[in-house]
Amino acid sequence: MAADWSVGARGSLTLIALLLTAGCGARRASPATPVAPPAPAMIVLLPDPETRVTGRIHVSNEFGGVDLSAPRSSLNARANAALGPVTILSEDEVNRLFGEALAALPPAPKQFVLQFTFESDTLTDESTALIPAILAAVKALPVPEVVIIGHTDTMGDRKSNLALGLRRAMRVRNILVEAGLPASTLDVTSHGEADPLVKTRDNTPEPRNRRVGITVR
Amino acid sequence: MSGLLIRTMGVVGLVIAAATPAAAQQPVPAGHIKTVAGAAFVVREHGSTPAKPGDAIFATDTLRTAGDGTLGVTLKDDTRLSLGPNSEVKIDRYVYSPGEGGMGMVLKFVRGVAVYVSGRLAKLAPDSIRLEAPSAIVGVRGTTVAIKVGA
Repeated sequence: MAADWSVGARGSLTLIALLLTAGCGARRASPATPVAPPAPAMIVLLPDPETRVTGRIHVSNEFGGVDLSAPRSSLNARANAALGPVTILSEDEVNRLFGEALAALPPAPKQFVLQFTFESDTLTDESTALIPAILAAVKALPVPEVVIIGHTDTMGDRKSNLALGLRRAMRVRNILVEAGLPASTLDVTSHGEADPLVKTRDNTPEPRNRRVGITVR
Repeated sequence: MSGLLIRTMGVVGLVIAAATPAAAQQPVPAGHIKTVAGAAFVVREHGSTPAKPGDAIFATDTLRTAGDGTLGVTLKDDTRLSLGPNSEVKIDRYVYSPGEGGMGMVLKFVRGVAVYVSGRLAKLAPDSIRLEAPSAIVGVRGTTVAIKVGA
């Protein structure tokens, strides 16, 4: 038994030694580049695929930083060099370089906001009217996820607002299950007071922040 | 025979007992695979599995495509990420629980071509997002970025 084990262990050690030797051999064969330098990269700022609005990015390396804000602005980053000059790519160049990746982007998530009539379990008429649109958005997707997130205003403390947000989200979950969505596609969570629609100070009543957000994606 | 059965049940019991606390600590998915064409893979601790639409992905997973592959994922905060052929991106860090105050994302663009479209994280905690290419780091403010790594 013990003999078997030592043979097995020696076998494994031999295998590891061979791999290490192979690695050293390969490295010795090209003494000029003992370690491959980091690969160069091209970084391009694109307009949002749906809204066509262009945001802003900050690119940096050990030599400094560059801000990009123009649509299709691009720069090259190389190892041990300052960031390359900013150029603007044509739409054709963007499609040639990134077309396949752009085509693989999942559809944009759709957002809905449901509100309740004051201090009640009933949705407002406007919110009730949104339910068919939510169901249609879910049906349009091959692998749909529905995320239901409860939100509160900043009245009271963070922890009880997290619980209150979850109660609101559960009410919406039950409404959507009754409307015919399978419970297994529904993810229920709460952001409490941390993710307001309208930013306020702490302990501020704000009806617009007492809501349930639904994301279909 | 009955001894074997009892022993088997004992082992099953132990496995369940051992698995339960682990299951409670199971990380929640960082997102899901939404689009796949050709050969595309998710690389996790114990090897790589072919990617299928609907599969969950987790922080520290690596997404990889072959020469004929593309892949698209949507993360929990609505961030979208897609890879062209011969590409690799690692979800190095992903935390999205605004209610508990934890947020952050680091994506490593290792190889090939990828597109990032920002989600809620870029609105709630833009400074917690880092897109890393081998020779540069990108900070974002609600935006779309395309990155190509390699010549």
